[in-house]
Amino acid sequence: MISERMEAKGLSDFEESISFRQYFINIWQAVFSVAKGMWITFRYVWAHKPVTIEYPEVREVLPERSRGRLYNDVADCIACNQCAMVCPVDCIYIASTPKPEGEEIPKTSNGTPIRLNLNQFTIDEALCCYCGLCTTVCPTECLTHTKDFEFTQYDLDQMKYDYLDPEIVAWRDRIVEK
Amino acid sequence: MDVKRDRIQTEGQEGVESELLTLNMGPQHPATHGVLRVEIKTDSEVVVQAIPHIGYLHRCFEKHAENLDYRGIIPFVDRMDYLAAMNMELGYVTACEKMMGQEVPIRAEYIRVIVCELGRIASHLLAFGTYAIDLGAFTPFLYAFDMREKILRFFEEISGARLLYNYIWIGGVWNDLTDAQLGLIETFCDEMWEEIDKYNNLVSYNKIFINRTANVGVLSEEAAYQYGATGPILRGSGVEWDLRKKRPYSIYDRFDFSIPVGSGEQGSKGDCWDRHIVRMREMYESIKIVRQCLKGIEAGPVMSKVSKIIRLPQGEIYHKTESPRGEIGYHIVSTGDKKPHRIKVKSPCFTHVSLLPHLAPGLLVADFVAVIGSIDIVLGEVDR
Repeated sequence: MISERMEAKGLSDFEESISFRQYFINIWQAVFSVAKGMWITFRYVWAHKPVTIEYPEVREVLPERSRGRLYNDVADCIACNQCAMVCPVDCIYIASTPKPEGEEIPKTSNGTPIRLNLNQFTIDEALCCYCGLCTTVCPTECLTHTKDFEFTQYDLDQMKYDYLDPEIVAWRDRIVEK
Repeated sequence: MDVKRDRIQTEGQEGVESELLTLNMGPQHPATHGVLRVEIKTDSEVVVQAIPHIGYLHRCFEKHAENLDYRGIIPFVDRMDYLAAMNMELGYVTACEKMMGQEVPIRAEYIRVIVCELGRIASHLLAFGTYAIDLGAFTPFLYAFDMREKILRFFEEISGARLLYNYIWIGGVWNDLTDAQLGLIETFCDEMWEEIDKYNNLVSYNKIFINRTANVGVLSEEAAYQYGATGPILRGSGVEWDLRKKRPYSIYDRFDFSIPVGSGEQGSKGDCWDRHIVRMREMYESIKIVRQCLKGIEAGPVMSKVSKIIRLPQGEIYHKTESPRGEIGYHIVSTGDKKPHRIKVKSPCFTHVSLLPHLAPGLLVADFVAVIGSIDIVLGEVDR
C-alpha cells in the first residue's frame, strides 16, 4: 500500500531491487562496519577512565575566573554607581547620600577616598545574567564574582541580596575564600 | 492530491476517501532540537507537507538592543546561538570595529581565531552527537560530550563561563591566555584529531548510518541558492563557499585550510550524509587553523585603548561572518549615539528552517527526523 503511493509520487527506489552480488556486499559491509564500531566502544571498558563526577559528594575545583554569585565588600565600596550603569539587565540597586560637612573621609584598601554614605547596595541575583561587566568597571575592585554557585531559594525575593545586611557581611569568609 | 482539504483520492479506489493525518512534532519533541514545532501532514507513513512554527523562544533581542549600550549588547549576542557564542560575538564585535575603524592588537586577533575555531568544534560535536541520538545511536553522544566538555572547561578557565562567555570585546578580548593554556590547546588538538577519526569509524562510515542518511533529504545546488542556505548546508550541496576563505575577516587570510564540500560519496549530492560529513571534515580544518594559530601567535597586549563609552559614527553597516551554522550577518544602524538605532540580525538557522517544507514531501517520518537533525537548528538563533 505504502510502496504504491510512493511509486505514484515518483519515489520508486523505496524498495530497490538489488543484484545478488550487491546483497552479499551489503551484508559484508554492515557486519564489518558494525564490528569496527563495536571494537571502538569495547575499548572503552578498560582503556578510558570514567569522566563522570558524583556531584554532591565529589566537587570539581572551579577555575579562578569562574563567574558565580556576586559579592560586594561594602567596606571598600565608594558608591560610584558605575556597576549599576554598565549592567545590561539593571539588577544593581544603589542608594547613597553625601557625607555631612566636617565628617572624616575614610579611605578604601587601595586608597580611594569614600565621599558618599552607602545606604543601600542590593543585587537581584535572580535577574543577574552573570556577564561580569560590573566587576570590570569597579574602580576599587570590591565587587567580585565568587565561585559560589549553590544558592537556590524558595522565594524570588530571597534572591535579592542586600550587601549592607550584617548577615551577608558575615558570609564574607565563607563566600570570598571559597 | 488536494492537501488543502486533507482529502486523498487513491487511484483505483474511487468512491473511497481517506484523510491526511496532522501530526504535531514538537515543541517538546526530543528530535526537534529545542522548541521547534513542525506541523506535519502524513499520508500513512509518508510526509506530505511540513509547516514549521517558530517563535517559542522569541526574546525581542533586536528591540532590546536598541536600549543598551554597545558593550552591553555582547552578553545578549551570546544568547542567540548559545552553542557557539564565541562566533556570534566575533560577528557583532567585528561589525562594530569595522564601523569605528578600531585597531585590534594582533595577539587578540589570534586568540579570537583560536576560541572561535574551538567553538566551532564544540558546536559541530554537539551537532554530531545529537544527530546520532536522533538516528538511534546513544554512545557517540557521550563520546562527543566528553570532548566538548574539555573545550567548555577551557573556555571557563579563560572567560569564567561555560556557555555565555562575554569574552570577545570591542577592541580586543577580555583576558589573556597563558602559555600553559596554549599548551593545553595543543594537546587537545592532537587528541581531537584521533577522536574525529574514531567518530568517523563509529558513525559516519557505519553501514546502518549510511543507509539511514544517504539519498535522504537531497537538497540540490539550485534549491540551496534559492532558499539562501549557507554554511555546512550549502557546502553539503557541493558549493565551495566559506566566508573565512572567500571574504576573509579578522586574520583568516593568513591561514591555510581547505573547504570541505559534499560530493555524493555514499548517495546523491546534497543528502543528509553529505551535510554530516562536511561537519566532520570541518572539524579537521578547524584543528589545522588552531595549530597554525599556536605557531604564529605573538606576545603583546590583548586589548587596545577604547573609550569607556563606545560611540559608533553615524551611518550603517552590514557585516557577515561564518558561524558553525552558516553566515551570521549584523546590520547596525547608528545615529552617533551611545546606543544603536537599530540592529538587525540575519541568522542562518532561520533560512534553514524554511528548507523543511521543501525537503519534507515524500519522506518517511523517520527520515524527516534525520533531515531535521542534519540541518542542525538552534532555535535561540531562529527566534532571537
